[in-house]
Amino acid sequence: MNTFDVRELVLTYDGKAALQHVSMNIIPKQVTALIGPSGCGKSSLLRCLNRMNDLIDGCNVEGEILFHGENIYAKNYNVYELRTKVGMVFQKPSPFPMSIFDNVAYGPRCQGINDKKTLENIVKKALVDAALYDEVKERLKESAMALSGGQQQRLSIARTIAMQPEVILMDEPTSALDPIATGKIEELIFDLKKHYTIVIVTHNMQQAARISDYTAFFLMGNLVEFNTTEQIFRQPTQAKTEEYITGRFG
Amino acid sequence: MSLVGVMVLALIMGFIINRGVGLLTWDLLIGDYHPTTYNLSLPTTESLGGFARPNDLDESAFFSQMWGLGLMDDVDFEGKAVVRVIYVDAQSPLQMMRDKNNLERVVGLFPGLALEKVIFSDLTIGLSRTKAENFIILFDTHEGINDLLAVSSGNGIRGAIITTGLLIGFALMIALPIGIFSAVYLHEFAPKNNAFIHTMRKMIDTLSGVPSIVYGLMGAAVFIPFTSRISKAEGGNLFSGALTLAVMVLPIIISATIDALRAVPDDYRKASLALGANHTQTTFRIVIKSAVPGIMSAVLLSVGRMIGESAALIYAVGTAIKDHIILTEKSASLAVFIWSVMAGEVPNFELACSVAIIIMAVVLFINVLIKLVARRFTLLP
Repeated sequence: MNTFDVRELVLTYDGKAALQHVSMNIIPKQVTALIGPSGCGKSSLLRCLNRMNDLIDGCNVEGEILFHGENIYAKNYNVYELRTKVGMVFQKPSPFPMSIFDNVAYGPRCQGINDKKTLENIVKKALVDAALYDEVKERLKESAMALSGGQQQRLSIARTIAMQPEVILMDEPTSALDPIATGKIEELIFDLKKHYTIVIVTHNMQQAARISDYTAFFLMGNLVEFNTTEQIFRQPTQAKTEEYITGRFG
Repeated sequence: MSLVGVMVLALIMGFIINRGVGLLTWDLLIGDYHPTTYNLSLPTTESLGGFARPNDLDESAFFSQMWGLGLMDDVDFEGKAVVRVIYVDAQSPLQMMRDKNNLERVVGLFPGLALEKVIFSDLTIGLSRTKAENFIILFDTHEGINDLLAVSSGNGIRGAIITTGLLIGFALMIALPIGIFSAVYLHEFAPKNNAFIHTMRKMIDTLSGVPSIVYGLMGAAVFIPFTSRISKAEGGNLFSGALTLAVMVLPIIISATIDALRAVPDDYRKASLALGANHTQTTFRIVIKSAVPGIMSAVLLSVGRMIGESAALIYAVGTAIKDHIILTEKSASLAVFIWSVMAGEVPNFELACSVAIIIMAVVLFINVLIKLVARRFTLLP
């Protein structure tokens, strides 16, 4: 069974279409990359998957997105519960202005977990899984703002993992980082794949080719092609896809 | 032009500091404003004589070897000549003087009092307001004191400081919760693009420009009757004053808190919501927490405004200078104190200037503090 089934999704901002009749599915425990030029709608689709688009004024969604067979845009669907299962890592690392520990413990605390021992275990496991624990174990009580950009982004991932979600959505997670920090995040994504379904938006074609199992190519709000990454990069069926991945426009 | 402005300002400040700095002592801060009259007597006298003049006693002072007492000619704040007690030996029998109206109570003569009248046991005529030298001659030739009248100098501003502190404290207790919650509602919860909310915010901005005397009138018209009904107050009192100040600073607190909330990066809100936190959790655990430095600036800003406030308080708390503050009675805050001492029959310019210096120093300190808070937490613009 697919994690997500996107069916005939139409998304408009103040009446202007950003996604047109998009249908695709997200396969569990795989990395799906969404690629395409700026403004093609790939980030909009990502934000639909945990309904972060709700926060944008004038955004309207038609069609349906099934999460384990249930339409997340149905009336009375519990959005907050959805977001505990579908976490999100943003382009810009945005640690809260509090300690490293409190950053990671924030999500579980909001769910009512206050037991110190439990929280310590959750935080430690999340930091270990995000490959950050060894670097920060001596200063968990210090401000997260003092970490480097790459560390902050891994902290954002740890914060998301602490909720033990099924899916992690990543919106260009490495575009603000240097090559070394980017390499670490990519390795991390490779490890996380064992336990989580990952959907990643990226501008970087090599990155999509390196880390993803499936790739979806968007253009002007349309899903042009969706296939295994190998197929897309070796033998795209659409001329536009080939032009884009070979760098002739974009 | 700005140079002229700065020079005029410097001249005014220099003038005030020049006139007022002489009175700035610790006694000014903790002393009573109204002089207290001490009516003392000395029923038994032992260990007279043999006291040595201390080396550090002022040259112009007169010393009684028999009583261990130092006196000096001085003037009070109205310019009248007085004889001031400046030294009482630790072993002096004058330390054992008792309250004439309650002989059980030992009061003891202490430096700072002005001698008004002394009736010695074997001298039937009392002496009133003569020179220090004459007093000393009489002290050195008489061995018993029936009666002694002395007056403390007064002119302290302790009452005004306490009044101001209480007013600010109560006003903040009222205005802070209301102001912060209003700001949080307006910025985080209220529907955007709503005409009513929009009008409301415009009105709040306008309110911060209303002259404070208007708030004072409102205090007199609304809060004095209100507080009189719920307490035994008659006329102006500290509660009506605090309510008036609270209303006055409410727009300041709301505007500054909204600015602080606006400065919280949207990324925090998004990140919190993406972790499954709901709107309320996001607002209270992340947004308000991040806005605390800005809210602290709002508090300091309003304290600065309140400490220098006079017009709003003249009706709401009154202008009577008190030494012992009763919450349901009239009293004068620091700024009103200046008005009161200048409005009397003998304007006390020096004292007014001293209080002005204190107010300016506190306001300056608060402004520096706001800058430090803003610099320490880079969330503010």
